[in-house]
Amino acid sequence: MKKNFRELSLVIVLVLLVGAVSIKNPSFLSLGNFAEILKNNAVTMILALGMLCVLLVGGIDISVASTMALSGMSVGLLFKFNIISSTPLGFLIGIAIGAVCGLLIGVIVGYGKVAPIIATMGGMYIFRSLAYVISDSQWAGADALRHFPNFALGSFLGINNCVWIVIACYIIFFVVLKWTKFGRNIYAVGSNPIAAEISGINVAQVKLCVYTIMGTLAGLGGVLATTIYASAMPSMQLGSEMDVIAACVIGGVSMSGGRGSVIGALLGSLILAVIGKALPLVGISAIAQNTVKGLLIVVVILVNVITQRAMKKRSLERREM
Amino acid sequence: MAGKSGRTINATPSNRLKGAILSWEGLLVLIFIAVVIFCRIISPNYTVENVLREMPKYLSEIFLFFPMAFILMLGEIDISVGSIVCLSATAGCLFSNMGLSFPLVIVTILLVGTICGAINALLITRFPELPSMIITLGTQIIFRGIAEIALGDGGSVAVTDFKGFMSIAGKIGPFPYMFFLVLISAVIFTVISVKMRYGREVMAVGSNRDTSYYSGIKVRRVIFIAYTVMGLMAGVAALFLTAASYGANTTTGTGFEMDAIAMAVFGGIATTGGKGRMVGGIISAFIIVCLRIGLGQINLNSQLILLIIGVLLIFAVLLPNISAMIKAKQKTKAAK
Repeated sequence: MKKNFRELSLVIVLVLLVGAVSIKNPSFLSLGNFAEILKNNAVTMILALGMLCVLLVGGIDISVASTMALSGMSVGLLFKFNIISSTPLGFLIGIAIGAVCGLLIGVIVGYGKVAPIIATMGGMYIFRSLAYVISDSQWAGADALRHFPNFALGSFLGINNCVWIVIACYIIFFVVLKWTKFGRNIYAVGSNPIAAEISGINVAQVKLCVYTIMGTLAGLGGVLATTIYASAMPSMQLGSEMDVIAACVIGGVSMSGGRGSVIGALLGSLILAVIGKALPLVGISAIAQNTVKGLLIVVVILVNVITQRAMKKRSLERREM
Repeated sequence: MAGKSGRTINATPSNRLKGAILSWEGLLVLIFIAVVIFCRIISPNYTVENVLREMPKYLSEIFLFFPMAFILMLGEIDISVGSIVCLSATAGCLFSNMGLSFPLVIVTILLVGTICGAINALLITRFPELPSMIITLGTQIIFRGIAEIALGDGGSVAVTDFKGFMSIAGKIGPFPYMFFLVLISAVIFTVISVKMRYGREVMAVGSNRDTSYYSGIKVRRVIFIAYTVMGLMAGVAALFLTAASYGANTTTGTGFEMDAIAMAVFGGIATTGGKGRMVGGIISAFIIVCLRIGLGQINLNSQLILLIIGVLLIFAVLLPNISAMIKAKQKTKAAK
């Protein structure tokens, strides 16, 4: 019940937000505008799913932005130097690079027992540096990418290709986390790793899988960012790991593991996306956007703690009765 | 019982552990020497004079390392320091351009840093349920956001009256003032960590928060002080960074928090709290600075340094873990 209450409150926040902006600016409430928002935030929305899994097992991954840069830059260079010209192949290569990065982190965290923040910080430096080294600090612009950016312009059944990918990812993760053994194992490991180990779950393996999934999604995100922005540069997506973590936290995913849902991640990233789009529309200058975003994160997590405290107090009072 | 080694205070360290600690710091000294020799070989310009001349560019991050070490020893983390540096530097530049006298500019920079640190401290001590990572993630975005608003559309500010800033960027012989300040801070923080009550309390809280609380340590106060000092030192770093670049922009201080954490972790300070020594971190900080200068001199792709730091960082934690695992395996084998 409590979980539903939390998600309901996020829905209310989202509806209020959209409502308030629409009153001020009616053009906001159009299908085209929402498709635009989804497309522009596709990368954060997809990565929020991977980050959800990582946070669920009690870890964290701050290397995702660098992984995205490495995968996006690699694919960009392959197009630039005419080595590949097929869009699906570009996607596959990018995803594979991400998966390898994730696998490395997974082995270090799962089997090497290195604290996730340290392992992924190392990964953050290494992958970003590789992105600079392979590209020799050059970037691949729209003409170098040739027909690759067309993917983000194309659509299927009237919906943008990127949005389709987002929808597919969310459906897959919803099903996997809710109804498969692997999904339940992730929750078990995050709630109590020792109990999970004793009950026969291979904790190291679950962690390895989770970080590999995160890396794979980051690889996909890097390629998507390259097509959406029609450019690849080694500094791309710098600092976006914090946006992804913020989306999860706003969506009620616990940083200490075991608590969080796909719906929460969806609502969290949607709220962030709407705020990003809405601020200029309601007359708040774009430079204030980060301050508002930061304040929102702090307010959301504090309100969450305060309501939890109140609930705990109330349940204690009830028991005394 | 307080162990003399200064590593942990919840157990008397055994000799083997003591040996391992000694060898870690010993190893760091060897790595430092190796780095200096390596840089000397690859770059003919790697002389004492040149290194000292280039040092101010890289030294300001070390100011962040000292309080970060305390925070990590507490088992907490602070990823907002880069933004605090940005905000303090921005405030300093703007006030300086408004005609404030230079001593007052210094006060402003330090004050802004301290206030930011105190805000972090207040949130973290009032809401102990929340991991410090998430609180400082929020404030990281807010502090840089405020700096972005203050800087306006251009996103950068240059100091018009840089006489004052030039005076603190001065030198005594070949040594920049900043170098002495780093050394003084190193001595102060090491003494606090090893010899003074506060340093011991930090270790106690990091080892076991509940036990420390019940044995009469004011846990909240210990954490509050650590984060406030972090803010103050971020102000110091901002001051010297401004003196080196005569301005600030929205990306000032980006990634500083990670560099400070990397120095500490590479120096043997565990992010889980209660473990580590100041000395190791100070040596590793200078290893990183010297490596940066050396690689910078031979015009190597400057980003390659990140690769090296990343690999060092992972191996610094991975190797002890692997050796511990092998030892544990041998033990169970012997028991069988």
